[in-house]
Amino acid sequence: MKFRDLLGMSISSLWRRKLRTILTILGVVIGTASIVVMISLGLGLDKAQMAQIEQYGGLTTINVRGNEGGSSGYYMGGGVSVAVEDVGSSDSSEPTRLDDAAIEVLSQIENVESVAPMLQTYVIGRQGIYEGQFNLIGTTVEALENMHLELTEGSSLPTSETELKILYGNTVVSDNFYNSRNNEYYWENGNMPDVDLVNDPLFLIFDSDAYWNSKWGGTDENGNPYKAPKKYVVESCGVMAGGPEDYSSSSYNAYCNVEALKVQLKKIFKGRVIPGQPQTKAGKPYKEIYYNQAEVKVTDMKYMEEVQEIIRGMGYYADSNIEWITQMRESSRSVQAALGGIGAVSLFVAAIGIANTMMMSIYERTKEIGVIKVLGCELPNIRNMFLAEAAFIGLIGGAIGLVLSYIISAVINMVTKGMMYETGVSYIPVWLTLTALLFAMIVGMVSGLFPALRAMRLSPLAAIRNE
Amino acid sequence: MAQERKAVIQAKNLYKIYSVGESKVRALNGVNLTIYKGEFCSIVGTSGSGKSTMLNMLAGLEKPTKGEVIIGGEHLEKMNENQLVRFRREHVGFIFQSFNLLGTLDARENVALPLTFRGMPKKERLAKADAMLNLVGLPKHKDHRPNEMSGGQQQRVGVARALVVDPEIIFADEPTGNLDSNTSAEVMGLMKKIVREQNQTLVMVTHDNHLAGFADRIFHIIDGKIVKIEDNTGKRGDEDL
Repeated sequence: MKFRDLLGMSISSLWRRKLRTILTILGVVIGTASIVVMISLGLGLDKAQMAQIEQYGGLTTINVRGNEGGSSGYYMGGGVSVAVEDVGSSDSSEPTRLDDAAIEVLSQIENVESVAPMLQTYVIGRQGIYEGQFNLIGTTVEALENMHLELTEGSSLPTSETELKILYGNTVVSDNFYNSRNNEYYWENGNMPDVDLVNDPLFLIFDSDAYWNSKWGGTDENGNPYKAPKKYVVESCGVMAGGPEDYSSSSYNAYCNVEALKVQLKKIFKGRVIPGQPQTKAGKPYKEIYYNQAEVKVTDMKYMEEVQEIIRGMGYYADSNIEWITQMRESSRSVQAALGGIGAVSLFVAAIGIANTMMMSIYERTKEIGVIKVLGCELPNIRNMFLAEAAFIGLIGGAIGLVLSYIISAVINMVTKGMMYETGVSYIPVWLTLTALLFAMIVGMVSGLFPALRAMRLSPLAAIRNE
Repeated sequence: MAQERKAVIQAKNLYKIYSVGESKVRALNGVNLTIYKGEFCSIVGTSGSGKSTMLNMLAGLEKPTKGEVIIGGEHLEKMNENQLVRFRREHVGFIFQSFNLLGTLDARENVALPLTFRGMPKKERLAKADAMLNLVGLPKHKDHRPNEMSGGQQQRVGVARALVVDPEIIFADEPTGNLDSNTSAEVMGLMKKIVREQNQTLVMVTHDNHLAGFADRIFHIIDGKIVKIEDNTGKRGDEDL
């Protein structure tokens, strides 16, 4: 028997019992729609979380820090990472530090796309009566490019390796500057400090210890008052786009070229220890300036843990979002499973409906099945005819259910627009569409299997019996 | 004369025993019979005589408890259900008492149904069905559904359906049981005519002695045993041709 004829017979017998077929399909429609909508809610949650993570510094970045042997290293402020765990795997007393050679070694690790050194220092900026302490981070131009910062018009990245130019985050002023007369911040009184980072000169103080000491009028061990440190006028090369309250992982920092910063720091602290840098046992500075941190960009998320382990094996501190993400994913997966389970119940009910319809149909058609058996329809063909009927119910129900799901999903997203997530609460990816369709069909076939086998085993004698 | 003809159906020492509770019912109790090619035979008996069981056995719808059924050289009692289905499809046509046409199909499609099971392309099988319907005298009812036709017309469709596969044997189980006497005679005449023309073998089961009289040979069956074989060949052969 040809497959086409078989399908034709299945369809015509479904068509013969229109109302019952439609009711059974309706069950599948509701079942499919509830599963798809429920899963789409879970996926929407997942997507929103991923978008959030992306905002917090990406999914493929590992932060690497040196290890000062036993101690947890030196002070780290304003790191871009949001780490759940901070695990240093090295117990050796030999300190591991990040210099240019170390950066080179890191960039040689397999599946590492790029390594950006980070040299971070706290600086104090002054303009008029406003004063603010903020993080100045020196890094490479590539690293800044990879951050995909949005800049205001006329701004550029600090490309010069000799002349120090600074790119300010859009919340540097609102976050860090205060009025030196009343010591009030923007977030305390809502008055925006009148600081123009682009057009007016900003004085920068790099030696903040000396600044505080002189400001509060302390004396050194010899009883002499501290001298006020030198102030430098540093040009800005731009400001990031965004309002004073548009926070992101980079908005409250200032960025500059790492080479230019090294030059500047060496010039300022001639022979003295730069704050935050390691020193020899005699309290003398090293010849080289070590980086506080390096951002290792991995080619793909799946290599994250592997690369992280290698770096830890080298004796560095390495942390990333991956642990956090793994946890978050696990929790959102369990939410998805719970939601999907609720939907599955109604599809299960629909499956029982299909089985029931098919059983009824077989009882009604006992004689007909007997006749086609007597006329020489092969047993597997009979089974397949009934399976095809059940599969049709599943398939049509699934297809209509999907259309319904898309409508419900659109309505949910419209109603909740802007309430929680930018990305929408409900999200139906293509794979979900296809899987749902296939699943509905398989559910149909599985629930039709027992009735179909039963039909196959019916005795042909039923046809001969005269009632 | 009879010895020269080719035997199509042979039943040897056939028994069918049903268990009803503790007791055993012998539906067939040692039946031997031979039916030749081109013959129109009828099996006559009262209800409960075992005639239907006999037919089921010969058509491979039921397995005998003991004995052999040989059709065209093949032993039916040794086949499994799949083989039996295939055997019926290739060699046997059926005419039912209650017509058993499929309500969703029109006359032409009903006739073409057995060909569908053989996997014949649609165009070809519908053409064949057309020809068959012309042969049984229903050229104007090809597009009618079974519920749009009279009983006689439906049974003609049934006859066409049995013949369309060009079977070696046609089994008919009370083919006129649901028809009035005039229509019965018509259908019987039609069956007989076609069987003659196509030189096919027809085995008919009935309880009606008059209808059985249409046949060339008549097997009388009582309590699972053939008690009498009437031979009409000589008497009526000329008249019917």
